[in-house]
Order: sequence, then structure tokens, then C-alpha cells
Amino acid sequence: MIKNYIKRKYTIYLLFKQIMIITSMDKFHLIHIKCSDPPINMKVPKNIEQRERAILLKKVYCIIFVVCISSILVACTTTKEESSEIADELVYATVKDINDMNPHLYPGSMSAQGMVYESLVENTEKGIKPLLAEDWDISEDGTVYTFHLRKGVTFHDGEPFNADAVKQNMEAVQNNKEKHAWIKLSTKIVSVDVVDEHTVKLTLSEAYYPTLDELAMTRPYVFLSPKDFENGETKDGINGFHGTGPYQLAEHKVDQYAIFEANENYWAGAPKIKKITAKVLPAGETTLLALQKGEVNFIFTDDRGADSINMEGMEQLVQSGDYQLMRSKQMNTKMIVANSGNGVSPVSEKSVREAIWFAIDRETISRDIFYGSEEVAHTLFSPNINYANVALKERSYDMERAKELLEAAGWTVDTEGAVREKNGKKLSMKLYYDNNSPSQKAQSELIQHSLSMIGMELELVGEESTSIANRRSTGEYDLLFNQTWGLAYDPQSTVAAFTSEASYLHATKGIPNTEEFYQNIDSVLVSTDEENRKALYKDILTTVHDEAIFIPITNGNVTVIAPKNLQGISFKQTQYELPFEQMYFE
Amino acid sequence: MGIYIMKRMLITLPLLLAVSFLTFVLISFSPMEPAEVVLRAQEVPVITEELIEQTNEKLGFNKPFIVQYFHWLIACLQLDFGQSYVKNAPVWSLMGPAFMNTFKLTVISSFVIIAFSVLFGVLCALNERTAVDRLLRALLFGFTAVPAYWLGAIFIFVFSVKLDLLPTSGMDGAKSYILPVTVIALGYIGLYFRNIRSAMLNNLNEDYVLYGRASGLPENKITMHILRNSLQVAISIFCMAIPIILGGTVVIENVFAWPGLGSLSISAILSRDFPVIQAYVLIVAVAFVVFNMMSDILNATFNPRIRDGN
Repeated sequence: MIKNYIKRKYTIYLLFKQIMIITSMDKFHLIHIKCSDPPINMKVPKNIEQRERAILLKKVYCIIFVVCISSILVACTTTKEESSEIADELVYATVKDINDMNPHLYPGSMSAQGMVYESLVENTEKGIKPLLAEDWDISEDGTVYTFHLRKGVTFHDGEPFNADAVKQNMEAVQNNKEKHAWIKLSTKIVSVDVVDEHTVKLTLSEAYYPTLDELAMTRPYVFLSPKDFENGETKDGINGFHGTGPYQLAEHKVDQYAIFEANENYWAGAPKIKKITAKVLPAGETTLLALQKGEVNFIFTDDRGADSINMEGMEQLVQSGDYQLMRSKQMNTKMIVANSGNGVSPVSEKSVREAIWFAIDRETISRDIFYGSEEVAHTLFSPNINYANVALKERSYDMERAKELLEAAGWTVDTEGAVREKNGKKLSMKLYYDNNSPSQKAQSELIQHSLSMIGMELELVGEESTSIANRRSTGEYDLLFNQTWGLAYDPQSTVAAFTSEASYLHATKGIPNTEEFYQNIDSVLVSTDEENRKALYKDILTTVHDEAIFIPITNGNVTVIAPKNLQGISFKQTQYELPFEQMYFE
Repeated sequence: MGIYIMKRMLITLPLLLAVSFLTFVLISFSPMEPAEVVLRAQEVPVITEELIEQTNEKLGFNKPFIVQYFHWLIACLQLDFGQSYVKNAPVWSLMGPAFMNTFKLTVISSFVIIAFSVLFGVLCALNERTAVDRLLRALLFGFTAVPAYWLGAIFIFVFSVKLDLLPTSGMDGAKSYILPVTVIALGYIGLYFRNIRSAMLNNLNEDYVLYGRASGLPENKITMHILRNSLQVAISIFCMAIPIILGGTVVIENVFAWPGLGSLSISAILSRDFPVIQAYVLIVAVAFVVFNMMSDILNATFNPRIRDGN
């Protein structure tokens, strides 16, 4: 006790001494100076006084300086700017700049291109409808399309929209055919002929049923004023961005903003919202804060879907009352592609692919990873896609079933929790995900966990989206994340990709009777008979479903966050565009 | 002195050449075919063999590597960094404005950093081991330790959203400089003011101080002498601070949506816009080399011992 007491006292004493030494340092220092002062010049007391005054003055100066600086800062900030008033216009946040708006190439923002340019026909929920063409005739054999153009339509620069403009645009696209290989129509067009001022004849090499669907797409078959062409072409750059659409590009500051103004001479009547600004903002906190402050009042998911906005933050913002959240119908399907053609991998076995399908807990993914913004998908195409309303057997989350399938296929395990084996080969695979997509990473971790429960080892590899695309075309993968083309493009674009070396050829190679399967795909695209097409699509979709090549996870959609008083929000038949011209403020 | 400067400039030439070569080589290490990279950057949906050949022909990727390098180098010397794959515009037309935006931010931040580092450095040195010294050191150390993106988000939340004083992001008007400059400055003041402080403290014990005091020089004049000597040490550090900030604003620019080099380079990296990435790396490397040279020259001007040593 006493020993402790003394010890404590001593510690306090030491501490006290230390403090004394520290605080008297300055004095020692001065005494030292004082002693070394030459005896003739004895101004010591004044010196100390001076020094102390100097320090004091310095402190006062500092305080004045800091006060000055902060008052300047405050003065700067108290003058309010008027620019924060955006009540009757839309300012949307976008991660990417609108980039090159050339509608016949691909780097530009599709939502921006959709506002400025228009196509001959439009893809709607009720099928193909007129747009720049009022009417059209198709020849008996399906190879000649004659379009009767809308009269009195002008480009934003005042040039008339007529048969000549259509011909020049179509030919400019065809002259750069190699870049449009994805759109099969580009390989079928033989000629575009002017019949009269408002009639154009499109001749194809063979019948191709999705012609009108592909002409309705955001690009490349849309129309730019011929005055903007460079040497009669568009492939090496253009001189202006004048389309016929409801909005025209008024100002573009690269990586900052782009302003679109209403086209007062729009053939369908001037849009009610007069100004739309696309503001470049990084995804995440900054966008959320800008929405809260009102510097931005509109946001929608881009081609990266749920990854492009902070869903959790948005939900909270909507609950706070100033904003509304709108969701479109299913637009595309997020899936895992299994490389059935990879002979050395276990994934070339149907039962392994099926087991993976059964072992994915889609409900949890939809609820906890996408915050309900994406719905559970059980088939490659959601039933609202053309020709995709086919009865297919559902494989919902069922771990026991997955285990049974593996057992039956000879993948066995001795101890619970270990990796299954067959003929000395481990049941181990690699799943490639886009490392810029937080949702893909989260999903792959969940799936990895589920698969480990059924004795399957999954190695996760995060890569750049470009190298994943590269793997897809070289076939160097077991499993990878991908998505279907989307509502306006499907089923034909995704199905055509089954046979394309650059897309899913490797993935579909392991299907039995591939010859017949690929033959069906070729014939469905040129078939002119509706019933025949339906039958062929049913066959194709049933085959890939039964073979479990494309393991669906969720259906993506377009999510819009808009001011509460914004009316007329609707969606197009594509996830890349929004009909801004129909929106108005109450 | 002139000779020293000449010598110093000559040394930088091989360095710049090496930097340019590295910039070019590193990009070519990418495992993918360059033509494919270009086409993917342009978001061409389906890439065919035919298209790859066409692109190789057009952009000269089928030429030998060293030929490509010299073509690129000669063009770079004429400030022609090529054509952006994504934006269909010459790289300089993107780089120029972006560089100016970042440069403005850098210069203003540097002034703020220098002003406050000197101020706090002097303040702390003169009040060594007092409460003021400890408090300032702790505070500034804390700000240096805090990640800039977090501080940025907090500042936007407090000053823009809650208090509605400043714009959240973007670059319009003097007001939009306040938050980014503050966040950058807070990150660096904590580092640089310590240099000033310790230089001041070292100088405090020098003989000339003693002599000055002995001969009755007013204390504020002695402080000025100490400061001048201490600043010499700091010159090279400050000179290097400018390129460091220039290259290091990436995070800040992304948080505040500042249309500068940082945002440009990030979007170029994400879309693999190689000409832009090359130009960015080259510009930042040149900035480092140039400012390093400047600091050497400045030091030589102030301190004859350095240039005589050479």
C-alpha cells in the first residue's frame, strides 16, 4: 500500500518536474543568452521585452490574417447565385461525357443521340410504328421495302428531310459496314434508291424479318443533315450534329456538360421541357449530394444498370419526399455464361451447369444486392420479349437438387465440405467478373459460397470489361458474367450472337447436334413466315435452356429518379433512351 | 550560373527521352491487340477480323514497334499526341483545357499551401512545445491522415447541401474553387509546415542567431533571417509539391467533378483511350522533371555552394 502510494507520489513529482522543465525552457534559453551577452551592451531586459512583444504581435497578426482569410471566404460565399433555379428544366447526371455525337458510330451517349436523331420507324410496345416514314410497303418476297416519308420535316439546321437525305445517310452507314457487323441488316442491304422526293426504296439481298426492328434502333440507321457530312461520308467525323429529333445540341463542354434545347419546329410539336442538361458527375456520393441540393434533378440508369447509381442512397432520397422513382419493365437479363465448348473444364458437362443454376439464390441477390431494383430471372429472355413467351421448366434455388445432379453425374465427395472429384479431377472452375462492377463482385462472392456448399470450387477473377469481352471471343473461360442485348434488340441480336465467334460461339459449341442448332438460327432470321419463326425460336430457346448454357440471374430495367412534380415519365422499348419529349412539369 | 543552368537542362534531355520511351512501351505491354483496344474503346459492338485488319492499316499498328515509337515521338514534339479513340478529337484539344483547369487548381492550392505552411510553421516554431504548437500539429496531422475523398464528401455535405453556401461540384466561378482548394491544402499543409517548423528550429540554434541577439538586433528581424534561411530548405520541397499536386488531384477532381487532367485520365483509363493516357503520363512526367530542374536552379541561385560544387 505505502509502497504504491510513494510510487504514485514519485511519478507525479517526476511529471511535475518534467512540466517545469518544459515550461521554463524558454527562460533557460534566455538566461543562456543573457550570460553570453557582452558586458558593454547590457540591454537584456529590453531584449526580453522586445522578444515577447514581437511574439505577441506575431500572434495578433496571425489571428488577423486568419480572420481576414475566413471573412473573405465567407464574403465570397454569401452572394447567392441564381443558377441553382432549375424548376422548369431537367439536369441529369451522367458518369460519361456525351462524347462524339456522330450517330453512325458508337462512342456517343445513346440517350443523348436518342434525343437528337430519329429513325424511319419506331419500336413500341404495340410493335413497329411510323416515325420519319409515315407508311411502308414490303414486297412479296420480303426483299424490297418502300418507305413513304413524312412531309415537311426539317433537320435542325433547316435542311429538308427527304429521300435524298435518307439515301445519303444509309449509304454513309453502308460505307463503313465493317463497324456495323453486329447489325445483320448491314450485311443484307444491296441498294437504297430515291423513287421521288418523299419515297425511298430499300433493296435487300434476301428476306430478313427483323429489318424494321433494326431500322428502329438508336443507331446506326438514323438521320443526320447531309450538310454535316465530311466529303459525303460520316465515318471519319462530321461537321455538326443536326438531326430531326425533339431536341438539338446547343452547347457541349467536354467532360463538363451538354445542353439540349427544345426543337421548336419539331414535326410532332415542340416538347414542353425546353432545356435538358447532361452534367458529368462521378457516380456515388457526389451525385447523391448534388441531387439533394437540387443542382441535378434527374437521374437514370445507363447501360451499366444498377451499378450506375447508388440505389440505397436513392431510395432514401425518394423517401425524403422531393423525388419519385420509376421503373420500366424488364429490359434485359443479367446472366452467367457457361462455356460448354471448353472441353477440359467440368463446365462442359450439362449436369454441372444445371447444378450451378439450381445453386444460385436469386431472391437474395435481387433483394440484398440490387435492393429490389432488379427482378429474379428464370429464363434467358423475360416473357415480354418477342417470341420469348415459351414454356420452359423453372430451375429455382434448390441445393439438394444440385447435389443430387452432381452425385448422379459421378462427381463424388468423401467428406462433407470438401471439393467433389471425378476420375481424379477436381470440380473446380473460374468465374470472371467485371472488376468495375460492385454488384457483379458481390454476386460472385455469394455464388462462390453457395457452390462451396455443394462441393464445387469456384475461383473468382475480376478483370477489365474489355478483357472479359476478349475471353468471350477466344473461349478462354469457364464461366463469365454477361447480359443480353436488351428489349429492342432481342431475341434476334442475342440469338445471332450464339453463332458469332466474337460472342457466344464457344459457349454454345458444347450443345449436342450443333449443326442443326446453328442451322435453325440461320433460318429463323431469314424466315418470312411468322408461325415458322415462332416454332424455330421456341426450338432454339428450349435447347439453350435445357442445356443450361446461359444461367439467368436477374432482369435489368431502367430506373429513373425525377422531381415529384414531373409528369409523363414513360419508357421506350430500349434501355438506352428515354422519351424526354413527353415529360412536363405540373 | 548560366553554365550550371545549361548543364542542368542538358541532363534532363535523356531523362525526358527515357520517360517518353517508357510511356510508349508500357502501353504496348497490354495483352490485347492494339487494333482491338481501339475498337473496344470506340464501343463497336461486334469486332470482326476484317475490321481489325482495316484498323491496323489505318493506324499503322502493323509497322515495326520502333518505327511506331519514332512516329509518335516526332508527333509529340510537335504537340500532336494523336487522336482520341473515344471522343474523335485531337488529344491536345482535350488535354489543353483539362491541363489548364488542373493547373489553375494546382497553382491556387500551392499558394494556399505555401502561405499556410509558412504561417503555421513559424507559429509553431516560435511557440515550440506550447499548447498552440501541440494543438496545431495534432490538428494538421489529423487532416493529413484523413482520406481526401472522405473529407471532400463531408465538406460538400456540410457547406453545399446543409449550409447551401457553395456549389457541390463542377467548375463555374470563383466559388467552386473554395472546397477543392481547401481539401487539397488540408492534405498537404500538414506535411509541409513540419518542414518549415523543423528548419526554423534548427536555425534557432545557429550561431548567427546568437550573434544577432548579441548585437541587439530586434527580434522580428532575427525571425526574418531565420525564416529566409529556413525557406531555402523548403524551396525544393515546394517545387516538387506542384507536380505532386498536379498528378495527385485525380481523387479530388473525381469527388468535385472538376474537368481537369485527373478526370480526363480516369475516363481515358476506364475506356482504354491510349493516346490520352500516353499524353497524360508524359505531361505529368515532364512536369516532374521540369519542376525538379527548377528547384535545383532556384537552390543554386540562393546557395552558391551548390553551383560551385558542380
